[in-house]
Amino acid sequence: MSLDISFIGILIGSIMASSVPLILAASGELITERSGVLNLGVEGMMIIGAISGFALMVITDNLFIAIVGSMFSGVIISLIFGFLTQSLLTNHVATGLALTIFGIGLSAMLGKNFVGIPGKEFPILFSSLRESIPFFGPILFGHSIVLYFAFALPFLTNYFLKKTKLGLVVRAVGDSPVSASNQGINVIIVRYCCILYGGAMCGLAGAYLSLIYTPQWIENMTAGRGWIALALVVFATWSPIKVLIGALIFGGITILQLHMQAIGFRIPVQFLSALPYLMTIIVLVVISRDSRKIKLNTPTSLGRIFYKEK
Amino acid sequence: MATDLRISNISKIYPGCVANDNVSLQFKSGKIYALLGENGAGKSTLVKILSGVISPDNGEVFLNEKNLKLSSPLDAKKNKIGMVFQHFNLFETLSVFENLSIDATEDNKSLRVRINEILKKYNFSIDLDVPVLNLSAGQKQKVEIIRCLLRSPKVLIMDEPTSVLTEQETEELFISLKKFCDEGILIIYITHKLKEVLSLCDEVAVMRKGKVVSVSQTQNEKVETLANKMVGQKLAKIKKKINISKNKDEIFKVKHLNFYSDDPFETNLVNLNFSVKKGECLGIAGISGNGQNELFQILSGEIITPDTSIIFRNKEIAKLNPKQRREYLMAFSPEDRISQAAVPELKIYENVALNNFKSSNFFEKGLVNERKIKEHSKKILSDFSVNTDNVELKSQFLSGGNLQKLILGRELITAPELLICYNPTWGLDVGAINYIHETLIKINNQEKSTILISTDTEELLKLSDRIAVIYKGKLSKIMPSEEVTPEKLGLLMGGGSID
Repeated sequence: MSLDISFIGILIGSIMASSVPLILAASGELITERSGVLNLGVEGMMIIGAISGFALMVITDNLFIAIVGSMFSGVIISLIFGFLTQSLLTNHVATGLALTIFGIGLSAMLGKNFVGIPGKEFPILFSSLRESIPFFGPILFGHSIVLYFAFALPFLTNYFLKKTKLGLVVRAVGDSPVSASNQGINVIIVRYCCILYGGAMCGLAGAYLSLIYTPQWIENMTAGRGWIALALVVFATWSPIKVLIGALIFGGITILQLHMQAIGFRIPVQFLSALPYLMTIIVLVVISRDSRKIKLNTPTSLGRIFYKEK
Repeated sequence: MATDLRISNISKIYPGCVANDNVSLQFKSGKIYALLGENGAGKSTLVKILSGVISPDNGEVFLNEKNLKLSSPLDAKKNKIGMVFQHFNLFETLSVFENLSIDATEDNKSLRVRINEILKKYNFSIDLDVPVLNLSAGQKQKVEIIRCLLRSPKVLIMDEPTSVLTEQETEELFISLKKFCDEGILIIYITHKLKEVLSLCDEVAVMRKGKVVSVSQTQNEKVETLANKMVGQKLAKIKKKINISKNKDEIFKVKHLNFYSDDPFETNLVNLNFSVKKGECLGIAGISGNGQNELFQILSGEIITPDTSIIFRNKEIAKLNPKQRREYLMAFSPEDRISQAAVPELKIYENVALNNFKSSNFFEKGLVNERKIKEHSKKILSDFSVNTDNVELKSQFLSGGNLQKLILGRELITAPELLICYNPTWGLDVGAINYIHETLIKINNQEKSTILISTDTEELLKLSDRIAVIYKGKLSKIMPSEEVTPEKLGLLMGGGSID
């Protein structure tokens, strides 16, 4: 295996591809959490997105319908969470965990008939540029539209939260739902919207796995990525840009340690497998050390049940 | 244009409690109105109804003879009723400007211009781009007021605005409120502090148990008359018989108390020496932040300082922790009832058990003896006339006064030889204050001693036998309280010196 320049370009390209589901799910969850709702159902919503996307692709043979459908199914399943936590005031943590368990079980049941069916090739953009430019070609070009969207998303999320009126409202609700309600903001509706948005992004993240990254349906194919996304949000102290950095580090070290294993480094495999988790946490803790910023970015009311005085 | 606000037959019933019972009031602009009442009298419920946070079961609100439907805070805003809540309704992690812009209809640029106009007009100095959590309580309140002013309100309601303010900030607030009033804003001022009513307001409505019991001009009222109306009975005038007896034993003696801290928010204490005699109350006066917190923590054993000698009942206790000091029959009542003295989420009897002294048999072989603790708690509740007999009630549902009675009861039922309390009546209403004061006097009459650290000069003069003033971590000469006048105390508290 030679470490020439074009190989590094391909490596970086594959790292980017592997971090897409994390970026999507974490960015969605970030908005949800910024409104004060802790949805631990990310893994469940992702896996539902994965199976519904794949199933729709098989049934309709239309990738656009499959992608939109996966987001829609993410919305539907997060609506269950929203209804339980916002309208019936159930505990966020318990409901989220239930959602994950439910999602994994439901996807396995729905997916029974789709195991072993080959996926469809997903169109990639600028494929000619990918080949013609060395190094930068494989990094910048020849990816699916979803990847470009995923890499724009953290910046869009940042802009939304910091610069727009709606973003301000979301942060306000996450900071103090009681004050927001007293200011005439409809807290429940804002939180519903954030939950549904988070569901859509998780659905999309799942569909990316089953339609683009490894185009097939395998039971439990999200393999804990939802939990990683959740952890990223917390360790990135609710900052979208740091979520992106964290996802890239995680994706990067995952890919690198696979190569290291393949090359046969004399480091225990278990340690190499643990490396991505370890490094991501270390890096995010180091870059997020500013306690003042943590305080400002942390949604104060996270996970607390809000109900309106009557 | 003149504003006329009329409340007609408002009722609001909560399970087990009539918060507002047929309340009717009338307010006209150009005056400052006080709504006075003890905690739980129904003032806050009434203002929540006026600001649309809750809806009444019955009754109507008229603004300039227009019947208002106030079913949400938005309705109140639309009708130009502004409200500054007791617990600030601000977003701590957002900047001041973001807080103000959240419900604004104009663009940020013109909003900033308007905010700056208001800042200039009323002489407020607030940095618009810092997060609210960096502001002092007084500044936060100003942000709330600006938020109301931005909507050019006809009515401005202030719910117990001074409970978190320093004296300086309170004065500033009063100046602003008078200005608003001159500009034609109708001001309704909710409080349980009688002096504020007399110095600020033109007319006063007194509420008791959900009903309006009197409406009058403040110029015809005095502190005593208002207090009686508020409590509903004649309050006994408390005056302690000062007992200075030279030959009594010194039960508590502190020598060379020094405390040094790197924390800029703590005050260093410099060579404090004092003693307390049997049956005596030693008052320690001072403006808050002059070292009282540190002193209390050292006396209670939360902080251990080197080279300090504390002799209590002829034993050296300077190195003992609070639990051990309690075993030697000391008792403590900290300033912050919610976070230091009691755990709000725990039930009453659980809070009583927290203070586990050796002599009690609350715990046997590591197990909790619930029956004994509950019996004991019931006794405290009835002995100290706490307003409930349900020991299963969570402590957070007790009012400040009742919680303080519970804490004092818990401390006193062990018959301690010395009670150290810090601002025991902070934030309480007149009835509860009277009760606490009577209790503290009773302790002294039983030949037990007290150290009263307080920022309330009136309280100190009423209860202490001798008084010292703490200023910037240094203690003044200890004076017999008959030689002390409020003026003298004020001078010392401000860092001046006498003779």
